[in-house]
Amino acid sequence: MNRRNLLKLSATGAALHILPGLALAQAGGVFKVGTLSPITGAGSPYGPGMQQAIRMAVDEINAAGGAGGVKLELFSEDSQTKPDAAVLAAKKLIEINKVQAILGTWASGVTLAVMPLTDAANIIQMNTSGAPAISNLDTKDLVWRYQATNDRFGMAFAEICKKNGYKRPATMAFNNASGLGNTQGFTKAWEATGGKVVAHVTYEPNRPSYRSELQKILDAKPDVIVTGSYLPDSTIILREWFQSGVPVKWIMPGWAANPDLVKALGNEVCEGIISVDSVSNEKSPSYAHFDTMYNKATGKPGSTNVYAAMTYDMAIVLALALEAAGPGATVAQVNSKIREIGNPGGTAVYTFAQGKALLAKKEKINYEGASSKLDFDQYGDVTPDFGVYVIEKGQLVRRDVVSI
Amino acid sequence: MIQFLNLLINGVIEGLVVALPALAMTLVMGVNRFPNAATGDFMTAGAYTAVIMQTLGVSSLLGATVVAALGTAVISVLSYELIFKKLARQPMIASLLAAIGLGFLLRSVISFFAGHDQRNFQVPLVRAWNFDGIRLLPSDLNIAAAALVCLLLVFLLLYKTSFGRQLRAVSDNPDLARASGIRARSLMIGLWLLVGIISAIGGVLLGMKAVVMPELGWDHLLPAFAAMVLGGIGSPVGAVLGALIMCVAQELSVPLLGPSYKLVLSFGVLALVLLIRPSGLMGRTELVR
Repeated sequence: MNRRNLLKLSATGAALHILPGLALAQAGGVFKVGTLSPITGAGSPYGPGMQQAIRMAVDEINAAGGAGGVKLELFSEDSQTKPDAAVLAAKKLIEINKVQAILGTWASGVTLAVMPLTDAANIIQMNTSGAPAISNLDTKDLVWRYQATNDRFGMAFAEICKKNGYKRPATMAFNNASGLGNTQGFTKAWEATGGKVVAHVTYEPNRPSYRSELQKILDAKPDVIVTGSYLPDSTIILREWFQSGVPVKWIMPGWAANPDLVKALGNEVCEGIISVDSVSNEKSPSYAHFDTMYNKATGKPGSTNVYAAMTYDMAIVLALALEAAGPGATVAQVNSKIREIGNPGGTAVYTFAQGKALLAKKEKINYEGASSKLDFDQYGDVTPDFGVYVIEKGQLVRRDVVSI
Repeated sequence: MIQFLNLLINGVIEGLVVALPALAMTLVMGVNRFPNAATGDFMTAGAYTAVIMQTLGVSSLLGATVVAALGTAVISVLSYELIFKKLARQPMIASLLAAIGLGFLLRSVISFFAGHDQRNFQVPLVRAWNFDGIRLLPSDLNIAAAALVCLLLVFLLLYKTSFGRQLRAVSDNPDLARASGIRARSLMIGLWLLVGIISAIGGVLLGMKAVVMPELGWDHLLPAFAAMVLGGIGSPVGAVLGALIMCVAQELSVPLLGPSYKLVLSFGVLALVLLIRPSGLMGRTELVR
């Protein structure tokens, strides 16, 4: 090849590169999907199950003959629950594997770091993160959130505080978008009802001890501490709190106050902790379907990993949108179908196969997910219900369901 | 005042835990002349061995720690024999990169077999002793005592035995040491055994305070590294002092700066000391060059 041809070729390549939106979604008869779940790091209790759920959904879709005339092909990477590692992995997925959607990011910090890359490549991003900022930064409407925002979590925390009659809440936040989102959402909702937050600390990850932070909070004599925390740091904080012997109640997000926390600290320490988590769409046929498959694949019931139901829905929604957009559609066309198949206005369907059959008859559908009824709002966010669990004798007992 | 004392206690206890890996790093730095970035992962290996011993039914924590120390010492010696010895004649960067790689390998092996779920030492939780608001956790005192005993033993070994004298001779001037008939091979095996044991004990103590995860040691490598630099590279006393000063400064800064910025202060202290004494608190200039 002479130099001029090479120049021409690279110019064409460059031109193609700056017009990725024009690229056909289904290059080579497959739609390439990347997963970027936290296999290691703070999210590791959930990441493997999330990845497994996507794999399960993709197998189900391909077994039903694929979507939009193509099969789904999966590329999996580990976000390590770290933004820097996740960016490298996302770059690899986008530039080398040429994926057309990245599913399953968990931590908000990771999603916020990966979003600029998926936006620049004009591909779809689906996450289970809570940070409110994600809604505003999603300027191209390519980002879909299957978890309640931390704002909504904060509102639920405030609601629970009110129901339990607490008067002097204090807040502790892990220093990232999710941790702070929880406590700021709480503070906003709590102060809106005329309450006051007596103390707040933002603490750093990966410290061997949080005694000084805890001391600052306990000095303000709160009756309840509301946290935006994760499992490892919560373990350390609660262990140090229990040993300090100061009586106080705790309200924590479900990803921190879970059975692993009880296992780590024992029943006595955890007694009475209130754990709040979004709950799956448990009464729906789609959840029953998911639960059976998840149980078969992992040996654990679907209720052990609320995020797995979310990532399962991600793959199903994506495939239904592909099917609705029809063969030869671009990523943008597929993306524009997501609200159409997930929001009210069509016949309710609970599995991919049902949806595909109706779409083939040119009927409108509304996929009711395993994780929530979906119904994406203008930001691409969903509003699941919240379960309020109290830890009693080492068991998480559901006491209430809060809708906001 | 009460708050100040409480913070001081927190700082000292954290400092003692950080002192162990700082000491392990500074020993290698002084003798083998490279920063052993795998120190953190030696700690993780130690912590995991001890946790697994506990789950296998070794009831005494001491027993579990002894097994962990021996296991880690073997890993440490093997890594010297198989990797670092072969790189001794290469520039420092080769050994440093190899150490980072070894760290990755250890972390991956641990997470492959043990998974990523957090693990915890089964230590009974005891309420703090409260002296008019000054709270002392018995578990923290145990950790501090264990760290102190370990440090004392290492210093006895370094300053009161022939092994320590030879080690310091090699650290001061390797050529002169060789010329005076010090046998490097057995000395090096001894050194790396010691490094493994110190790291493992540091890992167990850190794991008792925090939670045991595959990234445990790696995440706490930086404070140990900073403490080593602060104390003067290659100086064992300096490493311990450096760790204590850094951690105490960090905790005492909480009322002033808030917990999110306490790390800034500890690195501020580091920068300040290095500006005034580029070789660190107890360092000698020739090692820095």
